[in-house]
Order: sequence, then structure tokens, then C-alpha cells
Amino acid sequence: MAEFSTSVKDKGDVSIISLKGFLDAHTAPILETNFVELINKNRYKIVVDFNELAYISSAGLGVFMAFIEKIRENNGDIKLASMNDKVYNIFDLLGFPLLYEIFKSEDEAIKKFLEK
Amino acid sequence: MPDNDNLKAKRNLTALVEFSRVINSSLDLNFILNNVLLTCLGKFLATKGLIALNVNSKILLKTSKGITEEMIHKFPDISAGEDFLSNEEFKTYLQESNLKVVERISSSNDCLGIICLGEKLNKEDYRKDDLDFLRTILNISASAIQNSLIVEELKFVNRELDSRIQRLSSLFELSKEFGLFSESTKVTRLLIFSLIGQFLIQKYVLLRFEGKDIEVIEPKFPVDELLNNIKNIDYLKIETPLNKEQVALLFPQLFEMGIQVIVPMQIQGRTKGLIILGKRVNDLDYTDADIEFIFSVGSLAIISMENRRLFREALEKQKLEEELDLARDIQRNLLPQKIPVYKNFEIAAINLSSKQVGGDYYDIIPLDKNTCCIAIADVSGKGVPAALLMANMQAFLQVICRQNIPLDIATGMINDLISQNTTDGKFITFFWGIFDDINNTVKYVNAGHNPPLLLRNGKIIKLETGGIILGVMNTVFPYQSETVQLQPKDVLILFTDGISEAMNKNGEEFTDKKLEELALSISAESSERILQKIKQEVQTFAEGTIQSDDMTMVVIKVK
Repeated sequence: MAEFSTSVKDKGDVSIISLKGFLDAHTAPILETNFVELINKNRYKIVVDFNELAYISSAGLGVFMAFIEKIRENNGDIKLASMNDKVYNIFDLLGFPLLYEIFKSEDEAIKKFLEK
Repeated sequence: MPDNDNLKAKRNLTALVEFSRVINSSLDLNFILNNVLLTCLGKFLATKGLIALNVNSKILLKTSKGITEEMIHKFPDISAGEDFLSNEEFKTYLQESNLKVVERISSSNDCLGIICLGEKLNKEDYRKDDLDFLRTILNISASAIQNSLIVEELKFVNRELDSRIQRLSSLFELSKEFGLFSESTKVTRLLIFSLIGQFLIQKYVLLRFEGKDIEVIEPKFPVDELLNNIKNIDYLKIETPLNKEQVALLFPQLFEMGIQVIVPMQIQGRTKGLIILGKRVNDLDYTDADIEFIFSVGSLAIISMENRRLFREALEKQKLEEELDLARDIQRNLLPQKIPVYKNFEIAAINLSSKQVGGDYYDIIPLDKNTCCIAIADVSGKGVPAALLMANMQAFLQVICRQNIPLDIATGMINDLISQNTTDGKFITFFWGIFDDINNTVKYVNAGHNPPLLLRNGKIIKLETGGIILGVMNTVFPYQSETVQLQPKDVLILFTDGISEAMNKNGEEFTDKKLEELALSISAESSERILQKIKQEVQTFAEGTIQSDDMTMVVIKVK
């Protein structure tokens, strides 16, 4: 079974979810739980760090779609950072760059939140 | 002057070599076109120019310098095959834009596009050697442009391929995942994640149909409005996916809610659910291929959910059957294991269970050396409830027959007990008798059971004295008993309706008449032979038809 883990840390107002391993149909519920917990704590400024993510499937991408509306309604956003080319290619193929800001690094994404 | 010309030719040659090197060093179409155009503008001191390329036989403007936005938009429709210079629209365009020169960019056999250049800064006309030089530049450019076009095409094809691979892997992943999950909620959740991730969707709902019920899963549309609209349409008849146009045409109310795609989830051609999707966030339409993908994923999901339901049902059924087997074993053990031997009576008994746990029962209980209680009963219905009632009855019978209570009174007591223990209209037909080996008598009570047949001298006496069946109501009218003096060679046959009502494959019953005739014809035989012959005849009659009832029989022959 593909391994997947997440870790969540806070930097001021911004929460960072770091992904590791394979995000697919099997592991998507883990990330789902992370989002639900952050939303329950009213933390809507979220950066997702893909640095250690090896693979993402459409079920994994679906998790981002499932929460974005609620998060943006609360003046928050999900910003994506540090994707490898393979992962970016899938995001790009499905047209995500239209809807999500994607940054080279976690720091740039956090900075974008602070600018506002 | 000749020196000057030489020098100029040399400079031109050097410039061409450099130009060739630069544009051939790149596969980036924009870079190449930009370079070609700039080189031409620089060489001829022109202030404006454009390059348009042949895309699927249409000449489309790709890059320009010094052309106003307005004129860029006004670039006319021309096709690659035609003679542009006789196209009036194009001629007007050239005039309006003040473009003086048009030249084709051609590869060995195709027109790749055209270049148009504006007036020279010094207002001079293009000379013949200018045009020759322009053609040379374009010849050099053609191969670079063609190469980069091929690369672009490849990139596009690659992306298409990536996209298909991505879809295939989604399908593969889901089919794997759907097989593993134990709950249908997880399956639907994954289905939704995959779809909204794949197509960037924010408004969606799944409907699942179970009989007349509609299960609404994760609705992102207003549920009441949705259900109202759905109930107004023949939703089970949606058997093929509907795209935006079809939804708009067939179900305008749903379309007005923002629904763009309705895809049925089917098993064996029957619609068991619907995937309902709103618009894609990137405002693209769902293509036929998209809808095909959604249909595939939906089928996978519903089949997985249905399989799980069937699997669970099969498990439960299997468990139930195991329990029933156990119950049958227990029930069989309740029947007498050993038949006692008497001076005057020769007893044989048989119980053939049908497939189910049944309600037939017989018992042979020796009371003392010389008396014996023989009983036969048929509990209405089948299955576990009937078996429980029968076990209850048997336990009571074992106790009461040893209490020396007169048979008629004891029957009333059994009736009261059974009446109290049944709530759902169950009843028992029951016959029992006390056989006295010394006096050669039987004292019996028949509570609504098929009358046992007493065969005597080629005649049949039916033992009918008694009262109503057990379990209908408490004993109000006492049961009657009768004592029969038995004679040598008398045969008494106790049976349940599984014998007389045994069915053949045409649905015909064996009948009491046939049983009586048969019994009379073999009454001279031993009890065991009589029993076996009746059994054989009934089974031959039934021709292997599976019987719904137990067959129970006790034969007592008076020696």
C-alpha cells in the first residue's frame, strides 16, 4: 500500500500542511481530515507544501476542490507550494493553475498571505 | 563600385549565416518567428511587418511588429491554398495597414505561411535584389519554422497522451480502491473526490435509487428543489448520459439550477443512481470523452456498492443456512432414536425433512413396561418459529405423559400452554394415543390432525375423536378421548399431510384416497414394509419434485 503522511504546523495566521508520499484515492481521506480540522479551528489561510509529495491522483486533487469554496468564503485560501515537475504536470493538465496560486516555495506562499 | 558590391555581398552572406545559426538553435516557434520578422525589418529598414502561419489550412496571424491592435484583430480569413493577392479582402487589409510586400514561406511542398512587410523608412520601393534576399531568408527560416511546428504538435500530442494516461490511472486506481472499501459512503466519497478533482467542479450531487427511495449523497445543490424537480421526471428512464444541451432541452428546471451533466450509474442496463454535476469552475464544457469517463467511474462505483450489498446478503444467507442446518440437526435429535419393542405392537416410524427446518414431529414414549405413548403433530408454518414451537410442545409432552393425567384433560393442558406461547396465529394439529400392551387397546385424542387410518379387515376406520387444533384459543370445550379395542392384524397409520399432499411436478397432490387404497392393498405386510412401500409410492409419485413439507409417518401393526 502506498505510503502517505501529512504534518501540520502554524506560522502566525497561516497553517502549513506538508505532504509526503502518495496522495491517491486510498490516502485522500487523511488530507481530508487535515482540512476539516483546520476549518473547525477557523484557520482558513492554508499553504500546502508538496515538497515531499511523489504522486497525486485526481482523487487527491478532489480534496482541494472539496474545501476551497468554504475556505474562500471565510476570506482564506489554499496556496500550493514546492511541487516537483511530475506533480505540477498533473495539476497543470487538469487546469488547476487557473484556480490556485502555485508558488516555488513555502515561504513565498506564506509571504503572499502576509501581503494582504 | 565592384568592390563595394563585393563587400555588400560578403556582409549579406555573413548575416545570413549568423541568422541561420540563431534560428536553427531554437525550437521555440515564437522565438523563431520573432527573429525572422526582426531580421527582415532590420535588413530592409521597414517599420512594420507580420507573419501569419498555416494552421489547419487557415492562415492565422502569429506575430507582428508595428501593427495596431485594431489591425491585428482585423486580419482577414484566408485559406492556405488560395492566391492571396487576388483576395480582395486581403488586398484591402494590406492597403489599410500600409504593407507593401507579401511573400510565402514555403517548405519543400507546403505553404507554411506568409510574411508581410511595411514600407521602407526611406519610402523607397523594394528592389528585386531586396526581394531575392527576402526569399533567401525565408528559405532558411522555413525548415526552422517547420521543425518548431512539429515540436509544438508533438507537445500537444504528448499533453493529450498525458491527459489520457492520467484518466486511465484514475480509473485503475478507483477500481482498485472500490474493491477494498467496506462502506458505500467511502465509495461515494472517493467517486466525488475523483470527479471534482478531475473536472474542477464545485456543484454536484449523487443520487442512489433503492426501490422508490432516493438517497441523496453530498448535495451541493438545494436538496428540496432538486428532489422536487427529480420527482417530476422519469428519472429511472435516464439510461444514457446527458450533456449540457440535452439537459437544457429535456429537463429545463434542472438546467436552470445550474446542472450541466446527468450521468446514470447502471447495473445491467438498469439505472441505480445518477451523477449530477454543475459547471466546471474553469468554464470549459464537458466533452464527450469527459462524460464517457464519468460514466465509467460511476459504473465502477455502483457495481462496487451493489457487489458489497450482494456479498453481505450472501454472507447473511450463508450464516442463516448454517444456523438452519444446526436447527435441523437439533430437531432430528428430538425424534425418538430407538423404537421400543412390545408383545402386541410392531412399530415403524419415519420423518423425511424437507429442505427447511420443519414443523413435523412424532414421538414414541414408553411409559412403563406395558404402555406407550405415540404422538404425531404438525406445526403450522415452517422455519425457526415452527421448530421452536415444536420443541416447546415436545418438551411439554415428555413431561405431561408421565403424570398419569387422563389423556383428554392432558390435551386441554397442552392446548392452553400452546395457546399462551403463540402470538401470531400459529397452531398445531396433534394426535396422540396411549397403547396398552396388556389389554391391546389404544386410547387417543385427535386435536385436528389428519385422522390416522385404522385398517381392519379390508376396511378403514378413521380415528377422529378429539377436539379443535392446538394453539388457537384456551381450552373452553374439553377434548374427547376414545378407547379402541385393537384386534390382531389391525394396522394403524399415523401420518402428516406431507404424505397425503405430496406434489408431483404438475402440482398434483398424492391425495388421501390414493393413500387409503394403497394402505389397504398392503395391510397384510409388516409395519416396516408398509411404511417403506408408502414412502416409495409417494416418492415415485413426486418424481423428485422438491417437497415443501416434511413427510412423517408412524405405522403400528397389531401382531
